[in-house]
Amino acid sequence: MLSERELERYDRQIRIFGVDGQEKLKKAKVAVVGVGGLGSPVAYYLAAAGVGTLLLIDEQKPELSNLNRQILHWEEDIDKNPKPISAKWKLERFNSDIKVETFVGKLTKDNIKEVLTGVDVVVDCLDNFETRYLLDEFAHKRGIPLVHGAVEGMFGQVTTIIPGKTKCLREIFPKPLKKKENLPILGATAGVIGTIQAAEVVKLITGYGEVLANKLLIIDLAYGSFEIVELV
Amino acid sequence: MRYFARFRELAGVDEEYLELPSGSRVGDLIEIIKKRHPRFRNEVFAQNEEADVNVSRNGSYVSFDEELRDGDIVALFPPASGG
Repeated sequence: MLSERELERYDRQIRIFGVDGQEKLKKAKVAVVGVGGLGSPVAYYLAAAGVGTLLLIDEQKPELSNLNRQILHWEEDIDKNPKPISAKWKLERFNSDIKVETFVGKLTKDNIKEVLTGVDVVVDCLDNFETRYLLDEFAHKRGIPLVHGAVEGMFGQVTTIIPGKTKCLREIFPKPLKKKENLPILGATAGVIGTIQAAEVVKLITGYGEVLANKLLIIDLAYGSFEIVELV
Repeated sequence: MRYFARFRELAGVDEEYLELPSGSRVGDLIEIIKKRHPRFRNEVFAQNEEADVNVSRNGSYVSFDEELRDGDIVALFPPASGG
């Protein structure tokens, strides 16, 4: 049940998907894997939307060169607070109605089952394909939807993986792309892609609209191009 | 042919028309593109023949083995990997 305060807080979006939808958001637990350029807008907007429990996963501490895009981390967090802790501090002050759980560490074959216990949706905000494949396998084993996003420079891509319904991530991107150090990236690119991922999560949970299932959205901000490639 | 993101800069154009012999596959088209656009060959395929290139034909994802037909619109885009 939503409180009077929650009904008021979420009024403008309840007008989209109803009180039912808002209650579904409140009951949901979403894992944001990677709390960097994509994870910042994803976690921020999911907190704003009233997702009941957010699980933030990252092993790093913010660095100065992260701050052009990782907007949940501030100067005071540099080399000090691990990213999930840094993000939790702000998100709890932003929305005291939600729970923010953290895991400071890297997801591995051995810990993924335990770390992602009870998660309804996984959001891929990672910077490497090795861990993405691990998430992909886990999502398929558990039948949990996975919202994939990735960015570089001024372009990026989003697709939503639904086990049993869509291709898996490894089928779409079969060649493990090498992790690039010092990847060029504009904050606004991560903002656009991450915000679309957050909207995908809200649609998955509330059932409103249609998600990017078997559709790869490719955005190139340098040339203002938005393209959808059908994946089947 | 349509080029996206970084590939657009490497090709120097966003789109172009290419003639291929009938029966050509996506892989043959890639070879032609590598010859036409040396930056493409040098920067994308320098170390790796199986470079990170995604291809769509008429809006649908295809593999390098796919046979092309007259009038197909093929798009090349680099997969992003950062977060």
